[in-house]
Amino acid sequence: MPHLLLLTTVFLPLLGAMLLHGDRVEVRRRALAAAIAALIGAAVLIAAYPGGAQPFAETDFAWFGDDAPVDIRFNIALDGLGLWLFGLTALLSITAVLVGWDAIKQQASLYYRLLLILETGMLGVFVARDIILFYVFFEFTLIPLFFLIGIWGSEERRYAAIKFFLFTLAGSVLTFLGLLSIVIWDYANPIGPAADWKMTFSIPQLTAHLCLRPMDEQLQLWIFLALFAGFAVKVPLFPLHTWLPLAHVQAPTAGSVILAGILLKIGTYGFVRFNLAMLPAASALLVPWMLGLAAAGIIYGALVALAQKDMKKLIAYSSVSHLGFCMLGLFAANPLGVEGATLQMINHGLSTGGLFAVVGMLYERYHTRQIADLGGLAKKLPVLSFFMLVLTLSSIGLPGLNGFVGEFLILLGAFQRAWAGVPLSAGWTLKTISILAVFGVVLGAWYMLWMYLRIFFGPLREPKDEDHHEEVRDMNSREIASLLPLLLFIVWIGVYPRFFLDRMSPTLQQLTGNVQAKCDITVTANNTSDLAPPIAPRGRGG
Amino acid sequence: MPEISQLLPLIPALPLAAAMLTAVLGPRLLRKQSHWPTVLALALSCTASLMLLCKVHREAGQEEYERSGYEKIVTLYTWANVDEAYESDLRLRSPEGTVVISQGRKPLENGRLRQQSPEGATVNSRRDDSNKDSLATAAPLGLYNSEVIPFQGFTSLANDCRPEGTKKQGATIKNFRIEIALRADPLTAVMLAVITFVSTLVAIYSIGYMHGDPGYWRFFSYISLFVFSMTMLVSASNFLLLYVFWEAVGLCSYLLIGFWCEKPAAAAAGMKAFLVNRIGDFGFALGIFLIWTTFGTLDFHDSTAMGVLGKMRLASPEPIVNGAVGTAICLLLLLGACGKSAQFPLHVWLPDAMEGPTPVSALIHAATMVTAGVYMLARCMPLFAASPFALHAVAVVGGLTALIGAVVAITQTDLKRILAYSTISHLGYMFLAMGAGTVLGVTAGMFHLVTHAFFKALLFLAAGSVMHAMGGVIDIRRFGGLRRIMPVTHWTFLIGGLAMVGMIPFAGFYSKDAILLAVAEKFSFGNHVDLVYQTLYWTTFGGIFLIAVYTFRPFLLTFYGKDTVIPPEAGHHAHESPLSMTGPLVILALGAAFLGLYLEKTGGLAEFLAGTPSVAYLNRYPLAPEPSHETLESLHSSIGRQSTVMVAAGILFTIFLYAGSRRRLADRLAGPMKRLGLYQLSFGKLFFDPLYRLFVVRPLELFAQACAWFDNRFIDGSVNLVGILPKLLGAALRPLQGGLIQFYALAMILGVLIFLGVLLL
Repeated sequence: MPHLLLLTTVFLPLLGAMLLHGDRVEVRRRALAAAIAALIGAAVLIAAYPGGAQPFAETDFAWFGDDAPVDIRFNIALDGLGLWLFGLTALLSITAVLVGWDAIKQQASLYYRLLLILETGMLGVFVARDIILFYVFFEFTLIPLFFLIGIWGSEERRYAAIKFFLFTLAGSVLTFLGLLSIVIWDYANPIGPAADWKMTFSIPQLTAHLCLRPMDEQLQLWIFLALFAGFAVKVPLFPLHTWLPLAHVQAPTAGSVILAGILLKIGTYGFVRFNLAMLPAASALLVPWMLGLAAAGIIYGALVALAQKDMKKLIAYSSVSHLGFCMLGLFAANPLGVEGATLQMINHGLSTGGLFAVVGMLYERYHTRQIADLGGLAKKLPVLSFFMLVLTLSSIGLPGLNGFVGEFLILLGAFQRAWAGVPLSAGWTLKTISILAVFGVVLGAWYMLWMYLRIFFGPLREPKDEDHHEEVRDMNSREIASLLPLLLFIVWIGVYPRFFLDRMSPTLQQLTGNVQAKCDITVTANNTSDLAPPIAPRGRGG
Repeated sequence: MPEISQLLPLIPALPLAAAMLTAVLGPRLLRKQSHWPTVLALALSCTASLMLLCKVHREAGQEEYERSGYEKIVTLYTWANVDEAYESDLRLRSPEGTVVISQGRKPLENGRLRQQSPEGATVNSRRDDSNKDSLATAAPLGLYNSEVIPFQGFTSLANDCRPEGTKKQGATIKNFRIEIALRADPLTAVMLAVITFVSTLVAIYSIGYMHGDPGYWRFFSYISLFVFSMTMLVSASNFLLLYVFWEAVGLCSYLLIGFWCEKPAAAAAGMKAFLVNRIGDFGFALGIFLIWTTFGTLDFHDSTAMGVLGKMRLASPEPIVNGAVGTAICLLLLLGACGKSAQFPLHVWLPDAMEGPTPVSALIHAATMVTAGVYMLARCMPLFAASPFALHAVAVVGGLTALIGAVVAITQTDLKRILAYSTISHLGYMFLAMGAGTVLGVTAGMFHLVTHAFFKALLFLAAGSVMHAMGGVIDIRRFGGLRRIMPVTHWTFLIGGLAMVGMIPFAGFYSKDAILLAVAEKFSFGNHVDLVYQTLYWTTFGGIFLIAVYTFRPFLLTFYGKDTVIPPEAGHHAHESPLSMTGPLVILALGAAFLGLYLEKTGGLAEFLAGTPSVAYLNRYPLAPEPSHETLESLHSSIGRQSTVMVAAGILFTIFLYAGSRRRLADRLAGPMKRLGLYQLSFGKLFFDPLYRLFVVRPLELFAQACAWFDNRFIDGSVNLVGILPKLLGAALRPLQGGLIQFYALAMILGVLIFLGVLLL
């Protein structure tokens, strides 16, 4: 039985993109309507989400019929991992449509079409349960953004778009190869009677198979590295991050919002869905390396952000730092870390998406991204500076707002990994890593507050712009409407995170339980890999 | 009378409601009436706090709480819950090197372990020579001894492939469960009463002080938000919540220091305060993480798990945490406390914080927020009691800061900064008291916290009154003889000053002597001579003289002198402040005058505070045998006599230097001091700011620049290099495709020939 609501929600933006026509005003209104409709669908689905580890709102049919030897399926469903990212996509798409409302003047129809196609791609990635389908949606997100940056971007838009495209594509091809080799290995090693054995692309099937009869560790490592290539670029993990600042600076505001808010999360999402769930032994072995890269990204991103003079660049590097936290939590590989990291994906989408939106609003007013050109705006634009303050505080992890919850859980998870369950001598690397990561929080407050101080406090300073005659006004109701929902969730997650955590935790436990167990054993046993894998799968029901 | 469970949530809820109301209605509707929600809410909150105090006092006095202390927990809702988040590894770390295995697990047999693995194969494990390895191998192997569920067909596994039973046996599993839990105990009740009382008075004072300011509504909204955060901070019953509001009061402080944000100095001071506090919070957070990994809970009280400071844990005489980890936790908590309470080496933000409006300085940066560190130490005393080193560290930090604050305060010329350094110094005294690690010390520190809240708020508000009249001028060299035009301010400042120097019978006398007694008790009895405490005692005892000097110097310069000197900024209408400002001054003055005497003579405060679980623990399991009451009393009275002489000498010395026309005497004394460099040292605030700039801020900024350069040139450069490769490859292969048909034909024939050749061979 197809679940019509999820199906419609995913493809509604695409449908909207196809039907979009009319002049600029007409087009943007229709695009907004399509995005709102998708948000309503997503909201209803989230409200109806029953919790637990079962997929929800599943639509499942085989492309080539059930008897075909190759089982490629159209299978979409919501689960605890994708749920909030799905909702975030629907929410941020509205922000993305609204921030370009007045700024986009040429080819508006194409612009909104691309934006809506992008939305379908992103929604699809988070619900796809088949490798081919996942990859199709994954690539679907790439092309619209390539054009969005390349056509509506700033001065160096072409270079940025191509760099972004090649970087991501090169990575994702390797990822696809990795995924294919999982499929082929699975086909080559049948469980049960070989006659009934099919080549399957189904993600949950593969996960279950790999859990039942784990892959050889060496092979897992190679496949891990192949998957790593695509996902780590996407995250972006240090040192594969250099496309990000460029793409952000050159992208139009909506592009930055979407890129920071959602596209980066596909990387972390992929790490959970594939690396942690399917390759537990490799993940467990690489925990120290991944944690090291994550902590390096946290500190390095923060330091580079500290030295930036361009607002968008600063926030882009802050993303490197924040996504480092996500990776730290994921590869702490325990419930606290993984849940914190998954929540932090949402948090970063809300706060950084919002920050890019505000910077875009400043750019529309002053046509500059340079911090040094601005000053003392708090008096002149009180509402805008209030929004910026809340987003800044959320970004630096102030308790009571969302960022704190994620960071705290992640760091707690990292400490749990480094201190408990590790013999004292083996843990000093991990201990140093986790302490460094906490120091990243101090640096985070420094660069963000310093930027805020320079732009909004002190005496008023505005750029002298010749062709800029109109009076600069505070945020209008359209701009407030684009950010207010973000603020609502920023406070909600901060005050009552349980609502969000409880819905994701069963799925995450199921996906990462294997790597957790593996990790505890690998790390505590000092890599005694001759031990049999600790797998004692338990079936549900008969 | 309402129950505790009703009163306790009300105390923070009212200010929160006021803050939100003012923020929403302030700019459009309330405008000049914006103070009403705040003042009303704080007054009600204060009433509720006093009722709570009475109630707790009555209930804590019951016999059943005598030994273990009194606490009552009110849980509002569950903030977050992560199942099976904590797994203890104590079995891996047992000191003897044996595997401690709890029920349901088979121990090692002759160093070999045979276990059924899920596949049914037998796994043998060698026992290595080193203990650690065998431990590490044995522990996970033991885990296999769990139920093995037979293979049940893989399709049903699609939904749950989690290896249950493989890891969770034999270890202590705990959920990460954080509840919004408030607590009522004597310590909290006292803090709540002080906070709400002082903040109500400050809010009333602000009506006059902030009158006409364009950010009037914003100010009151922030103040309410602060009181909400602060009351939550002291009533939080777990470390996470404590940390949440620890940072929340920091945010309010940031917003209020930068209240006049168009002033660059104010904006910079706000950021400095936030960042220095973040460094402290970094330590605090690390401490909390270590507490989690050590205890597996963050709750103070016993809930689903045994709380860190819960009655169950405190009931046993064993130290609640041992060894290096215990000391590390304590030192990290101390770092957090140093940040918030402006202790050396993180004290540098507090003087700059004086850029904020004066009522804020009085409330946040003198009476309440900065004492959060002292409160936290008092709360965590059972942890500190386990580590003599950490206690020494607390005492040394306190003693050193007391001295630093006093030395710097002597030469400053900005009235508010003098008071700021005096706050730093007095907080140092409180830390010193906490560092004693005894019931005597904790109660003395809290006693001083209470009296200090009164006299320091009073002094700040009086200074604000002066500043208000002088048109914003606060440099003590620019006015004088003000007692003639500002009699109320003059008298209340005098009372506050006498309380601060600790003149008998004003409030500060009793609390300061209690601190000195607590320190003296550490080395005056028993055989061992604790040099640390002895040194600190005599240093801080000498510090009393400095207190008298730095208090009376600005007092005399401001209010005395032959002529009334008024700066031009004040205009022609320099006058006494309105009733809304003098009223709170008088009330606080009454407190500063009589509160100490009252609390000392009834002995109520110390006895009441001893009913807090954390303090009761110290009472039950003292670090050293306690001396008899009589010997303690005689020590107390001798300290009282000595300190009074010291104070009197200090005051007379200052009067001698500064009163009347003898100001030249002070200048003459300053001469040799300047030649020795001592004056510059004190006036330059011991050069902490430039040193931090030089050794911390600049290097980090340079390092950041270097990273940015590295990122741009090296990392991105190597990416571009990879990007060039296909182009180079293309360039190398390009001649092959020249478009010359003959060349292609030749290549084809050659290819075929080679192919045939290979085939034939």
